[in-house]
Amino acid sequence: MSDVTRILQSIGAGEKQASAQLLPLVYEELRKLAASKMAHEAPGQSLQPTALVHEAWLKLAGNQGAQWEGRRHFFGAAAEAMRRILIDNVRRKAAQRHGGDRQRVDILEIDLAAPGPDDELLALNEALERFEALDKTKAELIKLRYFAGLTTEEAAVTLGISLATAKRWWVYSRAWLFKEIRDMESSTEGNKG
Amino acid sequence: MNDAPDTPSTEREEAIFHGALQLPDALRAEYLKHACGSDPSLRERVTALLKAHEQSGAFLKEQDAPAQQKTIVISAPLTEKAGDRIGRYKLLQTIGEGGCGVVYMAEQEEPVRRRVALKVIKLGMDTKSVVARFEAERQALAMMDHPNIAKVLDAGGTETGRPFFVMELVRGIKITDYCDQNKLSTEERLNLFMQVCNAIQHAHQKGIIHRDIKPSNILVTLHDGVPVPKVIDFGIAKATQGRLTDQTLFTAFEQFIGTPAYMSPEQAEMSGLDIDTRCDVYALGVLLYELLTGRTPFDAKELVQSGLDQMRRTIREKEPERPSTRLSTMLDADLTAVAHLRHSDAPKLVHLLRGDLDWIVMKALEKDRTRRYETANGLAMDIRRHLGNEAVLARPPSNFYRLQKFARRNQIVFVAGSVVAAALIAGFAISTVLFLKEREARKRATEAERIQATLRTDAERGRELAKKELELAQLRPKYQEISQLLGTEQFDRAEKLFKEIPDRAESVPFYQVFGDLHIHFEQWDQALTNYAKVVEYAPSNHVGYIGIADVDANRENWQGARTNLARAIEVAPAEHEAYYKLGSLLVHTGDLEGYQRLRDQVLRQFGGTRESNIAERTAKEFLILPPPAADLVTLSNLTEVAVAAGPQSGYWPWFQYIKGLTEYRLGHFASAVDWTRGALKAARNVPFRNVGVYAVLAMAEHQLNQVDEARAALAKAREIAKSDLPQFGSHNLGPDWNDVTISRILLHEAEGVVEGGGTPSAK
Repeated sequence: MSDVTRILQSIGAGEKQASAQLLPLVYEELRKLAASKMAHEAPGQSLQPTALVHEAWLKLAGNQGAQWEGRRHFFGAAAEAMRRILIDNVRRKAAQRHGGDRQRVDILEIDLAAPGPDDELLALNEALERFEALDKTKAELIKLRYFAGLTTEEAAVTLGISLATAKRWWVYSRAWLFKEIRDMESSTEGNKG
Repeated sequence: MNDAPDTPSTEREEAIFHGALQLPDALRAEYLKHACGSDPSLRERVTALLKAHEQSGAFLKEQDAPAQQKTIVISAPLTEKAGDRIGRYKLLQTIGEGGCGVVYMAEQEEPVRRRVALKVIKLGMDTKSVVARFEAERQALAMMDHPNIAKVLDAGGTETGRPFFVMELVRGIKITDYCDQNKLSTEERLNLFMQVCNAIQHAHQKGIIHRDIKPSNILVTLHDGVPVPKVIDFGIAKATQGRLTDQTLFTAFEQFIGTPAYMSPEQAEMSGLDIDTRCDVYALGVLLYELLTGRTPFDAKELVQSGLDQMRRTIREKEPERPSTRLSTMLDADLTAVAHLRHSDAPKLVHLLRGDLDWIVMKALEKDRTRRYETANGLAMDIRRHLGNEAVLARPPSNFYRLQKFARRNQIVFVAGSVVAAALIAGFAISTVLFLKEREARKRATEAERIQATLRTDAERGRELAKKELELAQLRPKYQEISQLLGTEQFDRAEKLFKEIPDRAESVPFYQVFGDLHIHFEQWDQALTNYAKVVEYAPSNHVGYIGIADVDANRENWQGARTNLARAIEVAPAEHEAYYKLGSLLVHTGDLEGYQRLRDQVLRQFGGTRESNIAERTAKEFLILPPPAADLVTLSNLTEVAVAAGPQSGYWPWFQYIKGLTEYRLGHFASAVDWTRGALKAARNVPFRNVGVYAVLAMAEHQLNQVDEARAALAKAREIAKSDLPQFGSHNLGPDWNDVTISRILLHEAEGVVEGGGTPSAK
C-alpha cells in the first residue's frame, strides 16, 4: 500500500491531521513527474498542468476511485504545491534580476494553468492568503481552478458542491480578490520604486 | 463536509452581492439601499465588490480551454543539488531528507574552511507552518551547548527567502550499528547510553523535548579514538514553553509514520494530551532495550503491518517482554549472534540482564508515565548504580514484594494492563488482563461471564430493567478505571473508587478480585465482606464459598470452613480447589471416615489429570496420611505428572517436596532423602513448605538409621515451626492455612517416628 493511499484512508477514517502529511508527498510526486517529463520532452514542448496533476493522482491513489474526502485532499494538496512552485519561481527570478548570486540555471518551459504576469501572481498570492483566512472553502475553489487547473465542473465535483454553487462562488471570489489586489496596490503606490 | 464558517457579515455581503448582480444597473442602487438598511459600511463594501466585478476583465479568466494557458519559464531546477550554493556554503551532497527539509553536507569557505551540515526547507514547502517549525528547530538547537548534542553554527535564508541553518557535521554511524560493529560489551554500551541520557537531560533543562529519539538520530563519532555519541535532528522537537498547535499534531503524525517502534504510549494516543519530557524517557528505554538485546520491545515491521489502529493499541496496551525474557525466547542461533555482538555468550548475557537491568528498562518503558523515571538523568543514575553494584531504584514497588513473599500460590490473581474483555456485562466490556497462576482463576472469569450472560437475558425483559442498562452504561468508565488502577497495583485507590459503586451483581468479578487481595494482605474482615457479596450475587459461583472458607479456616472455625467448602463442591463439582482444601481440614479435625470418602471421590475424579498443579495438590492432600496400597499407585502417578513439569517450573520445590513424600510412603527412603534435600535448595524459603520437607527428611533418615541426621532435620523442622509457622490456637493461620496444617500434621508424624520409636509407616 503506498504512503499516499494509507494517508488517504486515514483521512477517510477521520484522521484530520493526516491531511498535512499529504502535501510533501504530493509535492514530491509532482516534482518527479515534471522532472521526468521534462527530461523526455524536446525543448519547447509544453506540459498540461491538469494532465500532470491527474497523472499524479492516478499514480498515487491507484484505481480505487478513491473516496470523496481523499480526492479533495489530494487535489487541494496538488494545488497548494503548484502554488508554492510558482511563487518560488517568481521570487527567484526577481532575485536574479536584482543581481543575486550567480546560479547555474536550467531553462525549462512548462505550460501551467492560468498565471498571468509575475506581478499578478505575487499579488494574487497575497490576496489569496487573506481570503483564505476569511473563507477557506472558497479559497480552495480558487486554488483548485487556478493552480491545479481543474475546470469548474471538476472543481465542483471535488468539493462536493453543485455546479451552480461553484459558479456563484467563483464570481464572488474573483470580485473579492480583484478588489483586494487593487486596495493593496493603492496603499503601496507611494512605495513603488 | 465542514466548511469554514463565514462570519455573519460576509454571508450577507455575499448574498446582497449576488442579489444585486441579478438586477439591471438602474435598479441596483434602490436594491442596495433597501438591503443594506442601516449599515453604511456594508453597502460600501458591496458597492466596491460590484465595481471590482465590472472591472475585473481578464483577471482569473475562466480557464476552461487548455489553449488559453500561458507559458511560463521556470528558470532553475526544481530543487537544489550538489554544486549549488546557499549563502557562503557550497553544497556537496545530500545526506538526509525528511518531509519538509533536506540536509546537505556542505563546505564553508570563509572565515574558516570546513565541512558542515546544512538543513534547508525544501523548495515549495515554505508554508507558514513549516517555516515556523523549522525556525523552532533552529532556536531549539541554538539554545543547547553540550558535548553530546550537535551544535548550530549559523542560520540564514536562501535568496528566495527559504530558511536554512548550519550544524556541526557529525561523521559517525548509528549508535546501534557502532556498538554491533565494534562488539561492545554490555557495560561499554551502558556507558555510551548514559552519555545520551545526559544529552537529553540537557535538552530538557533547556525546555526542549526531542520527541524523536531513535538510533538514526544518535550518531557515534570518534574523538581521539574515544567514541562520542551525538544527538542530531531535533526536527520535531518542541519547546515546552509553546502550546500545542496544529503543527504539533502534524509532527506527531509524521513521527507516527516514521518511528512507531520508539513511540511512547501517550504519543500513540494522539489525543492532544500534553506530551512531556517523559516521552523521551520512554524512547530512551526503547533504545536501551535495543542496545541490550538487539531488538526493540515491539517488532517494528509487525507494528506497521498491523495497521494504524492495532499499532496504537499495541503501543498503548501490550506489555513488552522483559529483556532477559526476550533473549531466552529467541532461537538459539539468534541468541548466540546477539550475545556475540556483545562480547559474551548466551547464558552469560541472559544472566547479566536478568534482575537490575530488566527492571531499569521496564521502568523506563512503563505505560503510565508517572511510573517512569522522572528525568533522563534518573535513568542514567540508576544505570550507574547498577554498574557500581548498588541497589537500583527500579526494583518493583513494595507491595509486589509482599505478593512474592507470602504468595498464596494458588490464588493470586495478578491484574495487569487494561486489555481484553474478561467479563461482558449487559453489553459493555471491561478490559482486564488476568495473569493467572492457576487455571482455576481463569475459570472464575468464565463463570462470571456465564452469570453476566444470564443477567443480560434478564435485563432484556422488563421495563425497569431498561433503566438498569442506562445505569450500567454510566458505570462502565468507572469499572474501566478500577481495572486500570488494579493493573498498576494501586489497590487502595482502586478499592476507594470501587466502594462508590452501590452493590450490584455486575461487580462480582471485582468482589472476587478484592476478596483475593484482602486475603493476600490478611485483611480478613474485608475479605469476608467481599466474598459474602460474591455469594449473594453469584450463588452458583464456587469462588465465594471458598473465599469464605479461607477466612473461616484462618480463624480455625473449622465447622464454617467445612460447610462452605462443601457448598463450593456442591455448586461446582468439577472444580478442584475445594476438594483438596477439605482434605487437610478433615484430617486435622479427626474425621477419618470423611477423609477416606473424599479421597475415593477425588481420586476417581482427578486421578488421571495431566495438570501438574492439580496433580501435586491432590497427591499431597492424600499422602498426609499413609494411603491404601491401591491408592498409592494412583497417587504416585500423579506425583510423576507433577515432576514431569521439570525444574524450570516455578513450583519445582513443591514438586520436589511431593516426590520426596511419595517416595517415603513408597518405602524408597534414600530417594526420599535426595528429593527432600533438593526441595530445601529452593531460592526462597517458605516456612509452610519447609517444615513439611524437614519432617519428611527426618522420617526418611530415621528409616535409614541415620539417627543424627534424623534428629537434626527434626530439630530444624521444630525450629521453623516455632518461629515462622502460625500455631494452632492462634486463630490466625494465614492465607496458606492448608499448607500450614499439612506441615504440622507431618511434623507430628515425624516426632512420633523419630522420637517415639515408631515403626516404619505401614503400607
